[in-house]
Amino acid sequence: MNGVEQTCASLRTQIAATEAKLADLKRELEIAEQAAASHKQNAADAEGGSERRWPLLDEEYRRYGRQMIVPQLGIQGQLKLRSAKVLIVGAGGLGCPAALYLAGAGVGTLGLVDGDAVESSNLHRQVLHRTRNIGKLKVDSAIEYLKELNPHSKYIAHREHLAPEAAPEIFSNYDLILDCTDNPATRYLISDTAVLLGKPLVSASALRTEGQLMVLNNPPRPAGDKTGGPCYRCVFPKPPPANTVTSCADGGIVGPVVGTMGVLQALEAIKVITADETTTPPPPSLHIFSAYSTPLFRTIKLRSRRPNCAVCSAEASVTVDTVRSGSTDYIFFCGTTGPENLLSPEERITPLEYRTRHHDKEEKEPTIIDVREKVQYDICSLENSINIPISTILASASSSMSNGDSLADGVPALPSWVPPDVASSQSTDPVYVVCRLGNDSQVAVKKLKELGLDQGGKRVVADIRGGFRAWKEQVDPEWPEY
Amino acid sequence: MSTSTTFQIHYFASASTYTGKQTERLPAPLPLPQLFDTLESMYPGIKEKVLTSCGVSLGDEYVDVEADIQVMIHPGDEVAVIPPVSSG
Repeated sequence: MNGVEQTCASLRTQIAATEAKLADLKRELEIAEQAAASHKQNAADAEGGSERRWPLLDEEYRRYGRQMIVPQLGIQGQLKLRSAKVLIVGAGGLGCPAALYLAGAGVGTLGLVDGDAVESSNLHRQVLHRTRNIGKLKVDSAIEYLKELNPHSKYIAHREHLAPEAAPEIFSNYDLILDCTDNPATRYLISDTAVLLGKPLVSASALRTEGQLMVLNNPPRPAGDKTGGPCYRCVFPKPPPANTVTSCADGGIVGPVVGTMGVLQALEAIKVITADETTTPPPPSLHIFSAYSTPLFRTIKLRSRRPNCAVCSAEASVTVDTVRSGSTDYIFFCGTTGPENLLSPEERITPLEYRTRHHDKEEKEPTIIDVREKVQYDICSLENSINIPISTILASASSSMSNGDSLADGVPALPSWVPPDVASSQSTDPVYVVCRLGNDSQVAVKKLKELGLDQGGKRVVADIRGGFRAWKEQVDPEWPEY
Repeated sequence: MSTSTTFQIHYFASASTYTGKQTERLPAPLPLPQLFDTLESMYPGIKEKVLTSCGVSLGDEYVDVEADIQVMIHPGDEVAVIPPVSSG
């Protein structure tokens, strides 16, 4: 009986799955047929010419009507959009909303560059990717969505991370570039290539609750021409130190914040494409969005090109050849940072070793200091652990150095965040420090030792190697990974 | 502190994280080229870790802290420290 029921359930599941698949295929066919019809129509228009009285297809007049009757766009703007070729570098939090609106607006050719695959931690903000596409390449996932939205446009997938060798060749096929990437090295590469190939650049970024937006190299004049718009190097000539660069994975990002910036990129792109050639572009600006400030937006007037800019001035040293050959080295320029390796093997313990050493429930639990920020500690934490955020530890470290009075009587004054039983010189109970990935915990162990809390080696002060990521793998599979 | 003896400084992104503030008032007048040293004395380490790569605005205009040696921050002015945000 039970076996028969199981068979029925299994058949029902298979039927449902097959029907869903069939529906998908029918939808794909419908889109393909529409696209084929529109291609045939376009080809016929190109050949015959005389047969069609109007430059757009019937469906396009209906589709774009609501934006075409806005005076700033008009039919001329719509035709410019249709012949425009826009390259979006990065199909993430910025690139998805930007691509969505540009495809919707009828940009004729949209290229997307990205080598990453969709992860579930992307889905709260990368609005073109759907749950069923986890694991699929982002450019393919994005284009699948865009084709359903607007089958009239042509979509080109560049399934790679933008590399200096390939950038000039890729850029040469487009009229306008959108920087939707996530790291300084790629931002400088994109800006340099855009200047060298004479393409205007719409650049945006976002982290936590803030975003930045600039239209650069607009108008896109040759290097040395002072009437050209400034480039990314003119605004930020020096990259931030590599170890201070925060990613969305580490710093967090609110979906609508990065969405706002991506939508604004699409807007600026539409403005650049549909601009009247006879009018000069608006003066260059840096727009700063800050979701928890009043006002939400601030606009800073930028200067024209820097007289000594490495790429857009008369003194430029960066050329297409130096970019392509690698002699302009973006990784070197921006620096790199690997995983921290500050401690000796004796100062470190793996989660598995920790569990083996301290599994006895009768024994007094060792002190665990969790140095993640409070907002992360609140998501999940170990019972009996103490939260001392790394920012608190580092802040007191710099202020005690500047006071310089802590060693007045030969005994270092301990910062107020040190828990009493850790501060006590009577106790030699071990202290373990843990964080999310095992970098900050090493920095914290070093600080604790500098404060003399290891009592000259009598007390173990160690880092849990690999942090909670390793903890989940080795000790507790139910630990929430966020 | 009144606006007749101070200027308003806004911190964005990593500058806000480092100082723990979005905004504060500092004594004016202050020559622009002394801005980073003033901040360094209040927030040790900020110059190297944050300020060297930052853009700065005075009023609503971008200024060059190193090159604009004649520029003065006057009482009542608004200054913004704008680190490059690169993620997205």
